[in-house]
Formats: sequence, structure tokens, C-alpha cells
Amino acid sequence: MADSGPTDEALLAGMALGDQAAAVAFVRRYQRRVFGLAYSMTSDSSVAEEVAQEALIRVWRHAPVFDARRGSVTSWVLTITRNLTIDALRMRRAVPTDPADFAASAMMSLEHNPEDAVRRGDVRLMVRTALSGLPPEQRRAVVLAAVYGRTAMEISEEEGIPLGTAKTRIRSGLIRLRAAVEQVRAVEEAP
Amino acid sequence: MSDTTQHCAQFTDDLAELALGILTGHRRGATLAHVESCPRCAEELEQLARASDAALQSAPDIEPPMGFEVRLFEAMGVRQPPTRRHVATRWILAAAAAVTALGVGLGVGLSQGSSPPGQTTVLRPSPLGTLVSSSDLWKGGKRVGSVFAYGGPTPWIFMTLSDSAAHGKIICEVVTKSGATRWVGDFTAKSGYGSWGAPLPVAPQDIRSAKVVSVSGTLIASATLT
Repeated sequence: MADSGPTDEALLAGMALGDQAAAVAFVRRYQRRVFGLAYSMTSDSSVAEEVAQEALIRVWRHAPVFDARRGSVTSWVLTITRNLTIDALRMRRAVPTDPADFAASAMMSLEHNPEDAVRRGDVRLMVRTALSGLPPEQRRAVVLAAVYGRTAMEISEEEGIPLGTAKTRIRSGLIRLRAAVEQVRAVEEAP
Repeated sequence: MSDTTQHCAQFTDDLAELALGILTGHRRGATLAHVESCPRCAEELEQLARASDAALQSAPDIEPPMGFEVRLFEAMGVRQPPTRRHVATRWILAAAAAVTALGVGLGVGLSQGSSPPGQTTVLRPSPLGTLVSSSDLWKGGKRVGSVFAYGGPTPWIFMTLSDSAAHGKIICEVVTKSGATRWVGDFTAKSGYGSWGAPLPVAPQDIRSAKVVSVSGTLIASATLT
């Protein structure tokens, strides 16, 4: 995270011990990201608020079982949020945000040039840049798979394309995103 | 092409889908088994999984609705400290009081459109004047902000938007009691949020309503000033 103070892992460890100050700091650090993801997926403020609240409560309750070896705190929190949002959309039979609109809202956050993003180690900005550079059909396939959890078969059926085409779009798009992420990691790990 | 490379090639598409968590059935089992015995594919899977995680991070940060923190901390059973917004409101009121105490003659001196999108416009020291009228901004029965009109040597208006449809460049207009629409300024909102101040082109007592519209003229929010 960009803001200073205890690391995410330290706050989570405090939450695992029932430290309310750690919980407050964690919530204030993550509430905009959690709500932002849920809202971007649903375009519904009330659903997004319910999901964001439930996601942060789960983080608070399950902090003791977080395993840093399996990924970052950010990934853990956002995956919980994503899964709850998908469940909420299914339960309400609600129409999710169109993948193109989700990608557009991410790309609207582009404010700096990619070279700055690499230098500052800003993975989010690099991924937004990479997303904006994908052909629309690849961008749509990646968002459907990575954000909405659609399988290649489901994407094939929803988009009316052959299964092989869906797989290729998913893979090609993800590889482009990987290049952006690894570019930032290389800078971070440089001596 | 070596046997190993040919074997790996069978899992090319499946690795991406496994990283995304969308691979199912026997393909999932077969790919997992292959990855366990192939360091190169294991490394590729790790990189693709990082890319998949990053895709989730691409969503923009958005401020939750007013009261979210209070409701959340209640549900968590966490003692509620002052919220950022309460602190911000107190700071703004304190700053307003201090600025008012400076007296008249400094000019309004508001910074227009120079702040980062979605952030409160910083007011340089200036007389705030007297609050003439204020009201909530509404859109379709939902409260999406507030507006304050100040009198004094240089009348000015202050607006806040939250959880609205505004994003990017937006236009603020006021409608006078005679029915004339007057442009106040254009500003930038981010993901529905923004705050700003600007000099008023008319006396605050003459304003009947204020509105925020998109650059294409679509109404984003309006307020009747009393």
C-alpha cells in the first residue's frame, strides 16, 4: 500500500489478536478499494456497500488464518470481495457491470504515464495501462475471467465464439498483463 | 522441439485458466500434476497468477457511502473512533471560522479546477462571508451532495458531491429567481466524488437553484436554495 504506517501483514496480525486499533487502521486503508471493486462489478451502491461490509467483516474474523505464503494481503482481501460480489449478483439475479464498462472505469483512473508507474512500482497503474492497450475482445475476455470468474466455456457461450478462441483471448490477454506486472517486479527487485 | 517442450505445450492454455482459478474437471487435475513436476511451468503459473491478482486491483478506489464506517464498526463490534469525514468536517468548520475571523478585503481567491480530481479544492485564506443559503443536492430522490452560498464582498458558492454519477469534467450552474441560468464554473469529479468552491456571478440572495450537469448537458444533481 502506498500510505505509510504498519504493513498490511502487521495490521492483519494485530486483528488476529483482536486489536481494535489495527482493525480501524485496516478498514480505513482498504474500504475504498473493497467498495471500489464491488461497485465496479455491480454498478449498484447498495449492493456494493453490503458486499464491502461483509468482506471486511470476514477479513476481521478470518485474520488468524491468513497465510502470507499463499499471496499478498491485497490479493486475499480483493478475492474475498470478488467472490462475495459474484455471490450477491447470483442471489439477486442482478445484471453485472458490462466487462467493457468495468475496464473503462479502471482505465479512467489512468492519470500518469507508464514510465512513472514502473519507476514508482505502481502495479495497479501498470495493469490499467496494459488493460487499456489490449484489443477490446481480449480485454473483455480477461475481465470476464479474472474479475467475474467466468470459465472459458462460459465466455465462449456468452460471447458466441468458439471455445478455442475464448481460450486464446484469455491467455493472450493475461500474458500481456503478466508482462506489465513483471516489469514492475523487476524494478522492485533491482539492487 | 524436445519431448519436454511438447509436453508443456499441451498445457499452454490451461496454465492461464488455472492461474485465473477458472479451470475445472480433469484438465485442472492434469495441469496441477504437470506443474508439480515441471519447474518452468510452475514459474509461469506463479507469474500468471500474479497477473490475475493484479487484474482485480485495476478497479478504482471509490469512497463508500456516508456512514459506512459507522455501520461496519458496529457490525464488527469495534469501538468507533471519529470518522475521517467527521474529522474533515470539523477541520473545514474550524478553518472557515478562522478564515472568517480574518476580516474582509482579501478577495475570494479560490483555486478553480487546480486540485486533483475528486479531492477537496483548497481554499486560500479569504473572507468566507455570511452563509446566505444552503441545501442538499439531489438526483432521482437520492441525496448526492450539498451546496452552500455565501454573501459578502465577493459572493461565492461551495459544493460537495458524493456517491453521484459525476466523473471527469462537470459544470456547475445556478438559476436566478428571474429564471436565468448562469454558468459558475467547470470542475473535475472522480468516481462520483468532488468538492469545490468558486465565485458567484450573481448575488446569493438571487439564486433559486443550483445544478451540476455533465459536459453534454445531462443533469447530475440539483438543489433548491432557500
